[in-house]
Amino acid sequence: MRASILAILAYTAAGLTLAAAALTPFLLIGAFSAGVAHAGLHIDPAYSGGTVARILARPGYNITVYQPVRPHLLQRVDPFVQVAFSPTGSLPARVSDEVDLDGDGQPDVRISFRVPGDPHARPQGEVVALNDRYRSFSMPGRYSFSQLLVRSGDAIVVRVPLNKAR
Amino acid sequence: MTTVTDNSSLPHYTARSMAIHSLSAFAGEALALGLATGPVCLASCGPVVLPWMLVQPRGLRTHSTQLSLFLAARLAGYLLFAAAVWTAGSAIPHAWVGRSWLLGGTQLLLAGALFVYAAGFPHPRCARSASAAPLVHIGDSPHPRRSGAATLGFLTGINLCPPFLVAGVRAALLATLPSALIYFAFFFIGTSVWFAPFLSLSVVRRTPSLVTVARMVAVLLACWYGVSGALILMEKVVYG
Amino acid sequence: MASRSSAVLHPRVFRSVGRSLLLTLPMALWSLLMFTPSLRQSRRDVTIGSAIVIAFMTTLFYLMVRTGNTYRWRRCFFVALGFLFPIGFISALIAVRGTMSIPIERMVSGDTPFCFMVTPMLVIPAAFTRTIIFPGSILPTSSNPHSIAVMIGLWLAMTLVLGKAWCSYGCFFGGIEEGFAAVRKRAKIRRTVDKFAPRLRLIPWALLIVVVALSAALMEPIYCMWLCPFKTVTEYPAVHSVETAIQMGIFIVLFAGLVVVLPYLTKKRTQCAFFCPFGAFQSIFNKINPFEIRIDREKCVDCTLCQTTCPTMALSKESIREGKTLMNCMKCGACVDSCNKDAAVWHLKGTRVGLHPERARLLFLYGAWAMATMFGGSILANSLATMIRFLPKIHSMLLK
Ligand code: SF4
Ligand code: SF4
Repeated sequence: MRASILAILAYTAAGLTLAAAALTPFLLIGAFSAGVAHAGLHIDPAYSGGTVARILARPGYNITVYQPVRPHLLQRVDPFVQVAFSPTGSLPARVSDEVDLDGDGQPDVRISFRVPGDPHARPQGEVVALNDRYRSFSMPGRYSFSQLLVRSGDAIVVRVPLNKAR
Repeated sequence: MTTVTDNSSLPHYTARSMAIHSLSAFAGEALALGLATGPVCLASCGPVVLPWMLVQPRGLRTHSTQLSLFLAARLAGYLLFAAAVWTAGSAIPHAWVGRSWLLGGTQLLLAGALFVYAAGFPHPRCARSASAAPLVHIGDSPHPRRSGAATLGFLTGINLCPPFLVAGVRAALLATLPSALIYFAFFFIGTSVWFAPFLSLSVVRRTPSLVTVARMVAVLLACWYGVSGALILMEKVVYG
Repeated sequence: MASRSSAVLHPRVFRSVGRSLLLTLPMALWSLLMFTPSLRQSRRDVTIGSAIVIAFMTTLFYLMVRTGNTYRWRRCFFVALGFLFPIGFISALIAVRGTMSIPIERMVSGDTPFCFMVTPMLVIPAAFTRTIIFPGSILPTSSNPHSIAVMIGLWLAMTLVLGKAWCSYGCFFGGIEEGFAAVRKRAKIRRTVDKFAPRLRLIPWALLIVVVALSAALMEPIYCMWLCPFKTVTEYPAVHSVETAIQMGIFIVLFAGLVVVLPYLTKKRTQCAFFCPFGAFQSIFNKINPFEIRIDREKCVDCTLCQTTCPTMALSKESIREGKTLMNCMKCGACVDSCNKDAAVWHLKGTRVGLHPERARLLFLYGAWAMATMFGGSILANSLATMIRFLPKIHSMLLK
């Protein structure tokens, strides 16, 4: 008796597995993907740059300033603020801007770079901190998730490292 | 300079959501560290706890009472240690230039300690330090000894085994005392999960591979701390 | 031909052609269904690639049904997958970005294609902080169709059907080792592997614990950044510092040692058996899969031939005595095919061991081969199309 109930259950499970296989391309992949997509997840700001704080208008182009990203204790990325200059097509050949990163009305850094004509070439330039809350750097130099000057999509993305000592 | 959009209309972190975010990231990290080093804790403190529990009268109830007591005392030991290391850690100024050297050096030392530890099974110092206490003399009690469980828990709680030291180094560098305490509380939960099998001793008896996995985890963690410690020092030398 | 009533089809006992064709028909239809969109495309390379794959997968299934042998034919598919996947992947990378290395700007833009190996490392950070610690995008984009949601959805569905059999019907990396393991007739190193196997088998579990925990602690996919041997044949972070150079060195050493040299010398899938933490993670799902391999104790003579044949060391003397495989059995069928006494058998959990092993095998194979055709088959078709596209270029280069 017990053996036959078990056998029925076993064949039911086998049948369900086969049904799952048949439904995988038509239903299951989509359903599971939708589940993941709607789980309220987000990409770690250390990679994505975080959320937008404000957009500053310049003649012909915009500067998007992001919220500061402060990775937690053990993360090996230093704190930084992301700034994006877009669209690249409207940027002058050489950009030099003083940017207020924290929204206090005072410029915090001067960002200058040349926009290369070749879309695969990396922009060259420098970031000069105007106060001790930020760190200066020039590129090409040491690229890391907290110190960047690169082209990403239709923008030139700059990541300005925050001074850790503060 | 013209601001065309201000941050009020865009998604951003509120202070509260930032706090919740960092607390949960934090708890996750401590829990993960606890879970990772749990097998090492288990394998190191196992030789003390296991024989002791085996001589206790049988029964799930007795065992769970004893184990809860043991774990509660262990938590107390953890929190005490967290407070102590944080106090010591906060004495080091954040801007101090030697901080990277200290961090890199400590990681290398920890790597060494974990290696020695993995090689030294099954005679971990935890076993010796705890069993040396007169209250937990193994095998002398036909009745459940509550004081024994508590003492054992407290001693294993404050014994300076390497995974514990690792968590200690982290806690020492935290900003506030409550965060150090929370860190250790979660670290404790992570490690305690591994003690649950003690409730069914037969499971532990049947899985000697658990100890082997624990030893391997210790070696792998040692490699990790070794490499990352070396890298910190190397970067310090190269980039200043 | 031996009597068909015998429960096990011995490798030398063939099913009749008519019956085999009939049993293959559903799989042929499935292959057609899977590749209809590609066949309808106006691009010749895609159509040819898909047609070849339909024929290839259907023929292999027919041979499995007709000969009663699983391992040999499955291996043909799996090795082809292992070797063609990197070809298709690398040429696509070179075409799109001109290099195999992934520059930091593409990570920042969320353009890293998601690899299923990352999945276990995502669990703790996602559960505690809702954060995905991978530089990809959650939803598919034009520059990154292999988004996190799509790839996890795919992996989950396939895992439901395959369990740990993912490692012999799904993983596009395992085939590389299987290929190198197939080169020699006999293993050059055997005793040492046998001696240390009980311990070595536990390494993937220890690695799983460590990478999951460290990834959660450091909020970065530790395995991908430091330990994945397959970075060597897919993509890797651009080397721009001492750290990235060390990482690259580790990838190459692990690939050469665990995926090429050791499989060649031992005839085992050493990386899968002794290293891959994702394989250990996948073993957990064997528990919820209704199919398994068992040893019929009434027929077994303890010759341990199955243990010697098993490419992932998923059998031990003790497990054979208990009539079971270990948790890391990937249902490749090598042990069943090698057993002269028909004691190693396919089994449907809940039924009596050895009662209808061929029925269990076929039921399992329909699901597994359907997944192999859908996933691996489309990778194969894609790689073939790429090769066909590049063939004239290579030809003209050679002529020059
Ligand atoms: S063990 Fe790992 S590499 Fe091997 S087949 Fe499984 S997932 Fe792939
Ligand atoms: S036990 Fe048999 S089916 Fe399982 S992995 Fe080993 S040879 Fe393959």
